[in-house]
Amino acid sequence: MPLLEIKNLNLEFTHRGHAVQALQDVSLSIEPGETLCLVGESGSGKSITGLSIARLVPTPPARYVSGQILIEGRDTLQMSEKEIRKVRGGVVSYVFQDPGASLNPVFRIGSQIKEVLTLHRPNDANNAEVIRLLKLVGIPAPESRFHNYPHEMSGGMQQRAMIAMAIASRPKLLVADEPTTALDVTIQAQIVELLRDLKRELGMAILLITHNLGVVGDIADRVAVMYAGQIVETAPSRQLLKLPLHPYTRALMNSVPKLGSQAERLTAIPGNVPQLGSFPSGCRFHPRCAQAKDDCQKTSPELVEGGSNSQRLVRCPYWSADAHPDEGSGPVPSPQQGA
Amino acid sequence: MNLLEVQNLKVHFPVRKGFLSRSKEFVRAVDGVTFLIAHGETVGLVGESGCGKSTLSRAIVRLINPTQGKILFEGDDIAVMSNSEMRKRRRRLQMIFQDPYGSLNPRMTVGDAIGEGLDIHRLTPGQGERQQRIAQLLKNVGLDSSHAGRFPHEFSGGQRQRIGIARALAVEPSLIICDEPVSALDVSVQAQIINLLHDLQHKFGIAYLFVAHDIAVVEHISHRILVMYLGRIVESGDARTVCRSPKHPYTQALISAVPVLDPDSKGQRIILGGDVPSPIHPPGGCPFHPRCPVAEPRCKTEVPHLREITPGHQAACHLAT
Repeated sequence: MPLLEIKNLNLEFTHRGHAVQALQDVSLSIEPGETLCLVGESGSGKSITGLSIARLVPTPPARYVSGQILIEGRDTLQMSEKEIRKVRGGVVSYVFQDPGASLNPVFRIGSQIKEVLTLHRPNDANNAEVIRLLKLVGIPAPESRFHNYPHEMSGGMQQRAMIAMAIASRPKLLVADEPTTALDVTIQAQIVELLRDLKRELGMAILLITHNLGVVGDIADRVAVMYAGQIVETAPSRQLLKLPLHPYTRALMNSVPKLGSQAERLTAIPGNVPQLGSFPSGCRFHPRCAQAKDDCQKTSPELVEGGSNSQRLVRCPYWSADAHPDEGSGPVPSPQQGA
Repeated sequence: MNLLEVQNLKVHFPVRKGFLSRSKEFVRAVDGVTFLIAHGETVGLVGESGCGKSTLSRAIVRLINPTQGKILFEGDDIAVMSNSEMRKRRRRLQMIFQDPYGSLNPRMTVGDAIGEGLDIHRLTPGQGERQQRIAQLLKNVGLDSSHAGRFPHEFSGGQRQRIGIARALAVEPSLIICDEPVSALDVSVQAQIINLLHDLQHKFGIAYLFVAHDIAVVEHISHRILVMYLGRIVESGDARTVCRSPKHPYTQALISAVPVLDPDSKGQRIILGGDVPSPIHPPGGCPFHPRCPVAEPRCKTEVPHLREITPGHQAACHLAT
């Protein structure tokens, strides 16, 4: 049984009396101990998906229209407030993008971590356990760091402290929402390595939400790519990086600056992610797609199997015609339409 | 003549140790930096947070007063200029900031934000001319002239960064200091902004000092690269050369930290331990030695100076060959 299974989740927000769709038919699953990367630009719905797992999206304005979120077979959408509080932090815990804003500035690091222990593992709520956790996430001199306030630590250290707090309850699933985006590249590499080590040591599953496909190769087992509230491609990470099928995935990969490339210009994706409530008709990516055909704006594509491999799903009917492994980039779109 | 010549620039901030205490310590944010920028050239400045790259870029625009050293911009030393002279000179020397959300006044329309510089320097005498110029600037950065009447909150991060660029362009600068202009943006939008800066350089011949922590981004846009660590330049040279054969172990680590897309090209990752040390008490000898994977005993005592390794390629490391 998968640890997490999201089945056909539909979520909408009410904005000035109108319902706007934010997630459409999102389905995902994570096996115990597996790492899934959820990739997409800001506004694609990836954070909302992550927050939905522990029902952290405030309702209203949000409304779960249909679908299920099963954690170990139990639907979190049907749980009582008391039950869901056990899941939050207990089974699923979170690490967010900005550690400076997620830590409480008026409490010492040690006592913030101890609070988690008091809630979820009351028998272990002592200083020694907190110090062990700080050591586990690679904070040097944990005995003195214990007494630090968040502002006394660097961004990388704060993120480590956040991770220590998240794993204190021994969760089965760690949802890391852009944990490295606010950090320097060198510290990013440290944090990704830390997550990989922790996963191996503690055997927890990780849902890593990121906008940078570059992180995927380092840590992910599988990848799901999201665009405008829909999953547009899922695949084992190696296969996805080797041969992306959806034009959007390809465009995302091309926009990552690579060292030593001779190209004068980067291949940007023209335009912006469509706003909630104004998703284009047909394929939602068609206005920005370099390979769009006439019927792309009329018919909404379904998620179909990408080739003989049943592990790959892609939401583009033309995936086979457009997948050129060696060429990759496709025609260069005209620069900056609109954005 | 070079457009910008920075000579032995130092920016030190005093930290008082306690109330009424006289023994002051200093944060040596920028500690003796020398470099040049030619007309129409892009120089990339890379380093981690806390290495002094933002302080250096702010000192060049004199948002922070330098402690020592010369900043020759178009031949004149702006480090010792009077404020009124500096104000005039800023027309030629503009800056773009990291946070596109924080750097635009939320109560000013986009048109007024861009027009502010035009008004200060009295560049457009008539109202009609001003509007025309703003419309043209918006077009230059890929926005629509109808956007002039809107407010910043109506725009996405990438669009706001374009507005920031239009604002800098308004006064026809010859040098724009770009302080991490793409770090807060999505990768896909990052590429748009980098391409835009590249196009504007071709069109108007502007020089850039491009500051970032991601060396892959910097390589893309720069002609030359400076790598900064704890207030000093530790490596400099042609962008391609520095990225292809980095000499300083710090540069090597920065390069290996760049995420790679190809799952088969797993080069050996050098993951630096720890953070940048405190610039109040920098380590003795080579400031990088506590984190350096190849440090030798002499690195703890002897300070390495920037020296030429191959023509045009300099590094501050005892072991570089």
